[in-house]
Amino acid sequence: MTLFAHLAGRSPWLYRINAGSCNGCDVELATTACIPRYDVERLGCRYCGSPRHADIVLVTGPLTIRVKDKALHLWAEVPDPKVTVAVGVCPISGGVFRESYAIAGPLDRFIPVDVNVPGCPPRPQAIIEGIAKAIEIWAQRL
Amino acid sequence: MGFLKVLLNNLMKGPATEAFPFGPPPAAPHYRGRVAFDPASCTGCGMCELVCPGGAIRIDRDAAGLQLTIWHNTCVFCGLCAHYCLSKAIRQTDDWHLAHPQAEKFHLVERGRVSMIPCVGCGKPILPLSDEVMRLAFKGRTTEIERLRRLCPDCRRIASIREMRHAHRSLV
Repeated sequence: MTLFAHLAGRSPWLYRINAGSCNGCDVELATTACIPRYDVERLGCRYCGSPRHADIVLVTGPLTIRVKDKALHLWAEVPDPKVTVAVGVCPISGGVFRESYAIAGPLDRFIPVDVNVPGCPPRPQAIIEGIAKAIEIWAQRL
Repeated sequence: MGFLKVLLNNLMKGPATEAFPFGPPPAAPHYRGRVAFDPASCTGCGMCELVCPGGAIRIDRDAAGLQLTIWHNTCVFCGLCAHYCLSKAIRQTDDWHLAHPQAEKFHLVERGRVSMIPCVGCGKPILPLSDEVMRLAFKGRTTEIERLRRLCPDCRRIASIREMRHAHRSLV
């Protein structure tokens, strides 16, 4: 089991939930993974298509009323232990959509968030910094 | 044989990947990052609070002065506050290291306090005028201007009129 924890701690898989984001943060997340200049895979991470394979969840968007239940359902499908990262100011505080009638957020009202990466959108290096912090937490939780 | 040239070029150029987080982070020129506040230059006009789209800036006014609070977690780095700040009390740094654990969420703030000073004429508390504002408003700095600087608006009006009447009399 310790060998498994050692190996898994070095290769967390990322899963991305768009909770009503404007797509800006999602573009930066794609950039972080796909462009060799940033290359998040150096940290042992990779994006996966199913929440059931994920270890670190990256949530973007202010959690709109319309998408809230689906996003929370999706988050609940990620097996424990998991690390939640709020990417962009929207899930952290609501950003420019704060106190809007159409949003249910901030995200930490509904689920425990571990790392915040503020920015609108955060630059790829900031996202890498946030993911590096999340990997430290993930290694402790295993 | 074109591929040999490409291969050679790639070997010479080295990796395209930035070293961060294993090496020093690159700083882009004119990067709009974390907002910094300098209370010594603030005139308390409140324009930054008005234009901030995310509501990241709050100004609390009391009898002793004003306190400006910037919460970086709802700042969108648009730069409107720095653009509209006449006295350049608010500026944007190139610092982007803002990722933080959840426990620090509400500690990611910048605070600055501007204290009132008493008017030299009547003793009423006024906000001090910064050097930057004086530079913007007047070309040169005379002793007369320096004297007006420490007066409240009412005393300044009276002093200016008195000065003008005095000048008028001496002309006539």
